[in-house]
Order: sequence, then C-alpha cells, then structure tokens
Amino acid sequence: MSTAQRTEPASGPPPVSGPVRGAGRPLALRLVARPEVGVFLGALAVMVFFLVAAPTLRQGDSMATVLYQCSTIGLMALPVALLMIGGEFDLSSGVAVITSALTASMLSYQLTVNVWTGVLVSLVLSLAIGAFNGWMVVRTGLPSFLVTLGTFLILQGVNLAVTKLVTGNVATDDISDMDGFGQAKAVFASSVDIGGVQVKITVFYWLAFAALATWVLLRTKYGNWIFAVGGSKESARAVGVRVDFTKITLFMLVSFGAWFVGMHNLFAFNTVQSGEGVGQELIYIAAAVIGGCLLTGGSGSAIGPVFGAFMFGMVNQGIVFAGWNPDWFKAFLGVMLLGAVLINLWVQRTATRR
Amino acid sequence: MDRSSRSRSRRLAPVVAVAAAAALTLAGCSSDSGGKKAAEGGSGAPAGKAGTPRMTVALVTHQAPGDTFWDIVRKGAEAAAAKDNIKLVYSADPSAGTQANLVQNAVDQKVDGIALTLAKPGAMKDVVARANLAKIPVVGLNSGLSDWKKLGLLQFFGQDESVAGEALGKKLNEVGAKRIVCVIHEQGNVGLTQRCDGVRKTFSGKTETLYVNGTDRPSVQSTITAKLKQDSSLDHVVTLGAPFALTAVQSVADAGGKAKVATFDLNKDLTGAVKKGTIEFAVDQQPYLQGYLAVDSLWLYKNNGNYSGGGEQPVLTGPAFVDKSNVDRVAEFAAKGTR
Amino acid sequence: MTDQSTAPLVELRDAGKSYGNVRALHGVDLTVHAGRVTCVLGDNGAGKSTLIKIISGLHRHTEGEFLVDGEPVRFDSPRDALAKGIAAVYQDLATIPLMPVWRNFFLGSELTKGPWPLRRLDIARMKETADRELREMGIALDDLEQPIGTLSGGQRQCVAIARAVHFGARVLILDEPTAALGVKQSGVVLKYIAAARDRGLGVIFITHNPHHAYMVGDHFSVLRLGTLELSAARGDITLEDLTNHMAGGAELAALKHELAQVRGVDVAELP
Repeated sequence: MSTAQRTEPASGPPPVSGPVRGAGRPLALRLVARPEVGVFLGALAVMVFFLVAAPTLRQGDSMATVLYQCSTIGLMALPVALLMIGGEFDLSSGVAVITSALTASMLSYQLTVNVWTGVLVSLVLSLAIGAFNGWMVVRTGLPSFLVTLGTFLILQGVNLAVTKLVTGNVATDDISDMDGFGQAKAVFASSVDIGGVQVKITVFYWLAFAALATWVLLRTKYGNWIFAVGGSKESARAVGVRVDFTKITLFMLVSFGAWFVGMHNLFAFNTVQSGEGVGQELIYIAAAVIGGCLLTGGSGSAIGPVFGAFMFGMVNQGIVFAGWNPDWFKAFLGVMLLGAVLINLWVQRTATRR
Repeated sequence: MDRSSRSRSRRLAPVVAVAAAAALTLAGCSSDSGGKKAAEGGSGAPAGKAGTPRMTVALVTHQAPGDTFWDIVRKGAEAAAAKDNIKLVYSADPSAGTQANLVQNAVDQKVDGIALTLAKPGAMKDVVARANLAKIPVVGLNSGLSDWKKLGLLQFFGQDESVAGEALGKKLNEVGAKRIVCVIHEQGNVGLTQRCDGVRKTFSGKTETLYVNGTDRPSVQSTITAKLKQDSSLDHVVTLGAPFALTAVQSVADAGGKAKVATFDLNKDLTGAVKKGTIEFAVDQQPYLQGYLAVDSLWLYKNNGNYSGGGEQPVLTGPAFVDKSNVDRVAEFAAKGTR
Repeated sequence: MTDQSTAPLVELRDAGKSYGNVRALHGVDLTVHAGRVTCVLGDNGAGKSTLIKIISGLHRHTEGEFLVDGEPVRFDSPRDALAKGIAAVYQDLATIPLMPVWRNFFLGSELTKGPWPLRRLDIARMKETADRELREMGIALDDLEQPIGTLSGGQRQCVAIARAVHFGARVLILDEPTAALGVKQSGVVLKYIAAARDRGLGVIFITHNPHHAYMVGDHFSVLRLGTLELSAARGDITLEDLTNHMAGGAELAALKHELAQVRGVDVAELP
C-alpha cells in the first residue's frame, strides 16, 4: 500500500515559484541563499574596496591591526550569535566583559594574590551571571531583552559603585607588576610572530573558537538543540529537547566569552576603566546579525559572525587607513546593518515559502 | 524535568568541587610583587573642620558615568564640603536636559548653594534664572568660561576646554611638533571637540582628527595603530583623557613608529608614564581644584560675603603642564587620585 | 462495542482535570487499542486539548484513573509519556520550520557516534534512516536537507507521524492534523493515519470534522462541555448521527426548527 501513497510534488505551489523550491533550484542560487555566503561576499567586497582605496592597508602588519580589532569583537560575537540562534538576546554582554576584568583586577590587587586567582574567581562570577540571566529567562518566561536589560543596568551600576568603593577611583590599579601577570598576559594578550608580522593571539583564539562553534553547531546534539530552541521552543520541548538546559548554557557561553575578552582587556591594558563596555553589546549583536543570524532565532551560523565581525572591523579601520573623514563611520555601519537585515529577511521568506 | 536537573547537578558537583579546590590552592600562593600591600602609603592629612552652621550645596555636572576626570572634581568638592561643614549633594548627567532637571531639583529642595557646569549654557539659562529668583547663589565650574557672567553666576572656577586646547597647541609648537592627530574618544561630545579645536587653533602644524570608540579599549588601540600606519609622518598623538593616552602608548609601540604622546588630564598611571618618558607631557586643568574652590567659594560667600575673582574675573585653574621636570611632585598626589 | 481480547494500550476511567476552580474535563472514559483509530470529536472548548495534554504528559489528571497497559500512571513530562510509547503530534508544534527534514526527524533523539568530547551526530545514518522511514510511510522527498518549512502542511504532519512511529510510539495522538489543510492535503494525512493503524499503532485522532473522523475511525467519542456526550463503535453509528452529535444534537434540532421559520432556508437540505 505504500506504493500508492507517494506524495506528488505537483500538489503544492503553482509553477511560478519553481526556482525557490529545494529540488529545482540552481546550486549558485542555493549557495547565495545561505546567509553566511552572503556576508562572506559582502566582507570580501569591503576588503577589496579598502585594499584599493587605502595603500597602507596592503602591508601585513596593517592587516594584523585590522584583524586584532575584528578578533575582540568576533570573540564576543560568536557566543552572542549562538545565543541569538537559540532565540535569545543578551544586552549585558558588553558590560559583563568589564565586570569580569574588574573582578579579576581588583581581587588580585586588593588581596595581593597571584593574578590567576583573580582570573579564576572572575570566571566563576561571570558564569554565575550568565546562569542567572538564563535562569531568569526560562523561569519567568519574560523576554530576554527585558531580563538582560536589567542585568545590563545592574552590572553598569555595580561596576562603577564597587570599583569606587574598593579602589576609591573609577579605574582599577595597575596589576602589571604582580605575580602571574606575565603568564596570564602570555595566555590572553600576547602576540605571535608570523613572517615578521606581529599578530595578536586573540586572532587565533577567535578563529579557533569559530571552528569549534561551527563543529558544535552543525555536528553535535547540542548544536541541533540550539537551532531547535530558537526555531520553536514549544516544538522542541514537545519532542524531548531539554530547552531550559540549552538556553541557560547558551547564556553561560556568552558570559564565558565576556570573561575571556575581559581577561584580554585586563592583561593587554593593565588597568580597567569601570565605565567601559557600554554600547558594545549592540556591536556584538550587529556583528551577529550582519553575519546572518536571525533576530528571531532558529537560523544562523558560527562562521557568519566571523565575517560579520571582520566586516565591522574592516570598515572601522578601513576608513582610518583610507584617511577619510571618520564622521561617516556610523553611517557606513548603519547601511551595512540594514543591508544584512534585508538579506536575512529575504532568506527567511525564501526558506519558508511553499 | 526534575529528574534531569537532579542528575545534571550531580554531574556538575565534581566540576564545581575541582574549581573551588583550584581557586583555594591559588589563593594560597599570594603575589610577592605589586598589589595593594606594595602600594600602602600615607594617607592625606584631613584639614580642620569649620564651626559654621551646616549648609547644603548641590554640585551638578555633565559627567558621564565612570569618568576619571569628574571623579577627581568630586573628590575636591567633597574635601571642601567636609572642611566647611557642608552637606554635598552630587548629581550628574551628560545630557543637557537632564542636567537642567537636576539643577531644578536642587532649586526645589531650597539648597544653600549650587555649583554647576555649563557644558551647554543655553540649556541652563532658565534654571539658573529660577535659582537666582529663589535667592540661591550659583557658581560655575569647569566649562562655561564665556557664558557664566551672562547667565548671572556669582563666580567661575576652571578653564575652558578650548583654552586648555590652545595651551596644549602652543606647547606642541614649543616641542617642535609638525603633524599631530587628535583622538576624540566620544563622537559628538562638545567638551572633547572644543579641546581639539583649541589645539588646532594655536598649533602651527597640521592637525588631524580621529574618532575612537572610548568604551572599547582594544578598538581604541587598533584604531590609533591604524592611523599611525596610515600616516607615518605623524609625530604626536594627542589624547583627550588619561586612560586613552596610556592606550596610545601601546599603539605607538605596535605601529613601530616614533610618534610621541601628549594628553589632557592626569591619573596615577599616567604620571608613571610621564616619569618613564613614554608620554611626553600632560596638560592638567586641576579638576580637584575646580571642585574644591567651587564648593568652598559658596561657603565663603555665605559666611563672609566674599567673591572669588571679585565677581568679575573667572578663577583659572589651568593649564598646568606636567612633564618630566615636575612629575615627581605631582605623582604623589595623583597616586591618591586627587590630582 | 468491538472490544478486543487484549488489554487496551491506553485507558481513561472517569478521568477529569481541574485548573483551580475551573473544571475543564470530568467523567471521561476512553480506550485505545493497538491497530485501531479512536476519534475524539468536539467543538472548540469542549475539552479536547485538555484530554490530549493529560495523555501526552503535559498536564496531570486530577480525577479518575489513567492506565497504560493496565497500569495506573502519572506523567511528569512528555518525556515520561514518550518512554511509555505515547507520542503526541501537534498541529502547530510538530516541527521546526527552518531546520532540515532529517534534523527535524531526529530532533530530541539524535543518533551520535564517537567518544565524549568528540561525540558527534551520525549524519549519514540519520539521513538514511529518515529516508527509509519516510518511504515506508509512503513519502518520498528528493532532498532531506531542505527546511521542513518548505514542505506542505500535510507533508509536515506526515513527517511528524513517521518520526513518532520510528521512535517506537505505540500510541499516536494526532491533534487536529487536518484542521489547517485543504481537501487534498487532508486526504494525504488521512492516508497516513490509516497507514499507521495498519502498522499496528493505536491512534487517537482529535478533530472537529466528523467526515474526516468517519473515514478512518474505529471508535468515536464526542466531547461536549468537558465531558463525554457519546462513545460509540463504528458499527453502532452512522455519519449523520455523528455529525448530529458533533454539532450538538438537540441544540441543532432546535436551530433547524428556528431556521424553518425563516423564509429562504431549505431545511430539508440541512444535514
């Protein structure tokens, strides 16, 4: 009887919608429909453009500078993108970076202990903040936008108040002469010599984490669950996906990223200014969106935000290298973001059209 | 649901235990160098306290949260308040409208004096008039050098941002600078723009402007590096705040150039860098003095009818240059976060 | 009643559910046998969804008994129900539109290979299995990588059914699988319901369309105002009776009478 029950493809749409259907679509069109391919082409275009416009950019060490900027954004854009694929936002990610750096710095300095103690305590605290965000979101069912807006404001205030309380200033004390600083700097903020060009270590972390995230997202059960909880929480729960676990760990992943970047900031610059980080969360989200992650969740990649961050950093530095009026930077960024969102919209329509 | 979470916590337990143990182990080995133990020094001697009746003074500034400069202004104001038996009410907001509301708030509370900054004089006009109507003395500090008299303020302490900029421009001429880049760490900030414009006015060489994202240190560093690589003829980087000067030093090292760094404002790490020579000089408008004098002047006005500057002239707190020649003297106070 | 000698897979005895003071369901008896389709009919708000939630483990019953294989049970979550072989296929919640067909098929029960830190999805095996299972249910897709959202509504339901069957469901709860579909697509789904029944599954088919129910059902239970209005085997009831009960029986007769007073309505044409 099964032979009698083949579904006939003709039962669906009128023939005009032929090109967007899975079967008959040309490979090129299907490739472009992948959001990360779109942003890759965009990033490539921006790079070629600036390579032509800015001769000084063509040197290896100039590129290393651009990549450094990209990497510190990209390191955070990665977990932020995963969280977005999982259907949630984290507005506290920018100040959380500074919270972790402040914690490590003040704890080490005030107690005069090896800086690795501060690094570890700060990791635990960061993960706790992420767990709190996630727990609040899954328990209350409130939009993560609201919950993390709350944490954003709390952390912003706490960063300032606690720093003032502990150090008497609005910045932490220089810890560069303390035990363990050298080691920690080597881990979080050193440079690697590649053919005479000093490349910051964050660039390698960034690419390594991106590769890892891609593997997790596409090749593991957890990755499958990230797509599922972002695509439809109820459906995922109904088929047995541990939705709460997935969401909470995603928030913790973001706070892990914040810790990592926070440690870089601390060991690269020796001190931390308590008011920093505000506004960065939007840049991370922008990089993820430019990289093809849907604001509504359920779609995106880990490689897309790499190009998103690259595009962001490239435009940022490219304008400087080209010697243009930097007043225009924000306008450029806005155009890029809008373009990316439009592409995303088109992708989603194409994917769900019958 | 319950079951799975319980098994999860069971799985997590050893991880937590290991992490805690590791933290404790590390806590055991304390740092032999640096840290607070090494920095413990003598504390500033508190001055005597006035026996005059308690009064309330509101200090309203356009500070953005977490700014070192304003933190020092506030410390100066607090020191004067403690000495003069004044209850100091500090509030701040970078947006002019909100700052005006804060001033109005102080007027409503019928404080005994108001000290405010005039970053955007137009927005403060009405509230200052209302304070005058309520017979509350108002003094200005920091910004508003050209407007304080027009608005009916009693006296003014500070130095316009553009005056400071002009002073720095002249100093750059003296040290033989030819091409400089002025790094603005907050796009659209009036005070910062005035500083750069002041520099441009008196500096005889070529001045370029560079915007950086002040809330993101790595971005600041790479953007300045990029600028130095793009234009290798730049010989000076001018930053508008102490933390950015220190970041610019790293950028110069990264870019492999020979550019020097000059900056506005001070902090304790900066004095160290001046001592080492990595930063050429800093121009300071003595924020501590601005806060201190503004509050103290209100006390003098109320208790003795004094006008600083005779009520006609502003009291200038800067520009005070800090370079290798005088840094040792300044460093001592900068370490306490008061200079 | 065409009772079987074997014990029913699922049985409700005088079951009910109250949310606080609101009594959503009470006094419901229902049996589900292997290889049979039990249809649950009712208007909106009759208590159908509460009934599904109890059987699928989303909510617990507060009255009466709920037995699986003759044993009383209390489910804490859909996972518990799944463990007993009871799978619900919801109308809207069956699938994740943007995910590929094969990922949807195995979602929540992914096949993996390799030792822990490197444990990864066994994609080849999953695709192959999904394709085989779908073909066995009579669905042939040319590309399992396409997002399931690109399939038609009927096809999506069928993938969900095939998935439930593959993961050892013995009892399928289908929540209004034909509600949002056109005539042709509904026919496709009804065929798969029949296919599932023929593979020996017990099916609970929830619908408010008596025509659809009558095409595949072996037993009909009509819910009204939170309780059972009718429970009849296929042999004991005609489609007209069923339609009557479904529409509210006596109420419909009264309505018919009223309409008869209005000129222009030909009452004889009404069911």
